[in-house]
Amino acid sequence: MDGKKKAIVGEIPGLRRYARALLRDADAADDLVQDCLERAFSRLDNWQTGTSPRRWLFTLMHNLFVDGVRARKRRSELVSGAAVDMRASVSAPEQNGMLDLRDVLDALQEISPERRAAILLVGVEGMSYAEAADVLDIPTGTLMSRVARGRQDLRDILDLARRRRILKAVE
Amino acid sequence: MTQRSFDERDIHLALDGELSPEDMAAYEAWLETRADMRALSARYVSDRALLRDTLATLAREEVPQRLQEGAHSASRKTKGARHMPLRRLAVAAVMLVAAGAAAGFWAGQQGFGGGETLAALDVVGEAVAAHQVYAAEKLHVVEVGASERSHLVGWLSNRVGTRLVAPDLQAEGFDLMGGRLLPSGGKAAAQFMYEDPSGERVSLYVAHCVKGETTGFRLFEDEGGRAFYWQEEGFAYTVAGAISEKRLLEIANVTYRQLLAGR
Repeated sequence: MDGKKKAIVGEIPGLRRYARALLRDADAADDLVQDCLERAFSRLDNWQTGTSPRRWLFTLMHNLFVDGVRARKRRSELVSGAAVDMRASVSAPEQNGMLDLRDVLDALQEISPERRAAILLVGVEGMSYAEAADVLDIPTGTLMSRVARGRQDLRDILDLARRRRILKAVE
Repeated sequence: MTQRSFDERDIHLALDGELSPEDMAAYEAWLETRADMRALSARYVSDRALLRDTLATLAREEVPQRLQEGAHSASRKTKGARHMPLRRLAVAAVMLVAAGAAAGFWAGQQGFGGGETLAALDVVGEAVAAHQVYAAEKLHVVEVGASERSHLVGWLSNRVGTRLVAPDLQAEGFDLMGGRLLPSGGKAAAQFMYEDPSGERVSLYVAHCVKGETTGFRLFEDEGGRAFYWQEEGFAYTVAGAISEKRLLEIANVTYRQLLAGR
């Protein structure tokens, strides 16, 4: 029990990164992680010791993300109106075409949630196609095309963001 | 063997380690003939590095108290459980993913022991290309910074499969910035990046190569890229940088001596 708990707590940083990249708003992201942890601890027997809790936790969190996407959206709009939390943003000097954490989080928001989740699980969390497809509960072929389309979207959005950056720097 | 044909889709499969070693070799050959696809592949690699590097700061943040507390209170109200779907169980039993795999290109020597090994000269070409791509970065030059030097060296040694040393080039005016893991053929390669006060950058790139005779330094030059390389025991070592030949050779010498001493 204690070992299981420790293993789960060890996954919190990765879960927070994924939640934040999905939702952008820091508080909404931590709410999602908290919901996920609560669900995980209430269903501890579902997870077999000896296997990594990682995919199990990401699956739980993804289901919560899908379930609550509308409710969280309303709340995060209120929160971001009050104060945008950018503690973790890289304090990058203004330079042409250079993108920081905020730009990257913004860019991700412009990608559809399905494609966003796919490129994050594979590209950032390092999951195989089979694992990510399992977490998202979709066929591998579908995941593959979401990864490809998501990357194309990201490329176009980043190009735009860089262009905007340069324009801003020129003004 | 029937050669399968490749298209843009395969760039993603290769990038995500989803090609078999055989397909990977054929893919590399195909990529060699397609400058447009090479550019696209490089672009996706750099976008992914941007995502990873910027989001990495989030995973390093301290976990807020409320999440830790949430875990405690939730564990008290633990109740009996439903059963995990069989399919998940089966897959979970097979897959074991270390958190470190988040860094994962296709898995170095462990995952793909039979991965394709490149000729030394091909490795040098890759080393120079990797230098040009990452030395040009402003914010995301390295994957792991010099502040985590021992972790960096241990991790890369482990993944590449040889004992590496991040050379100390301070006497030559270069400070270690950090390093990153890169794909090379079907295997893993390591890059250490250095910078001098004027912003000049040099890198050391270590990758598997076809075992040949041990050689002395050789000079490689290609469209603005310059490198000295040598090979030893199935590994190619490349020191690349857009600095004078003389200065680069000095750095290559120091690097060679330190790698030898560190072994």
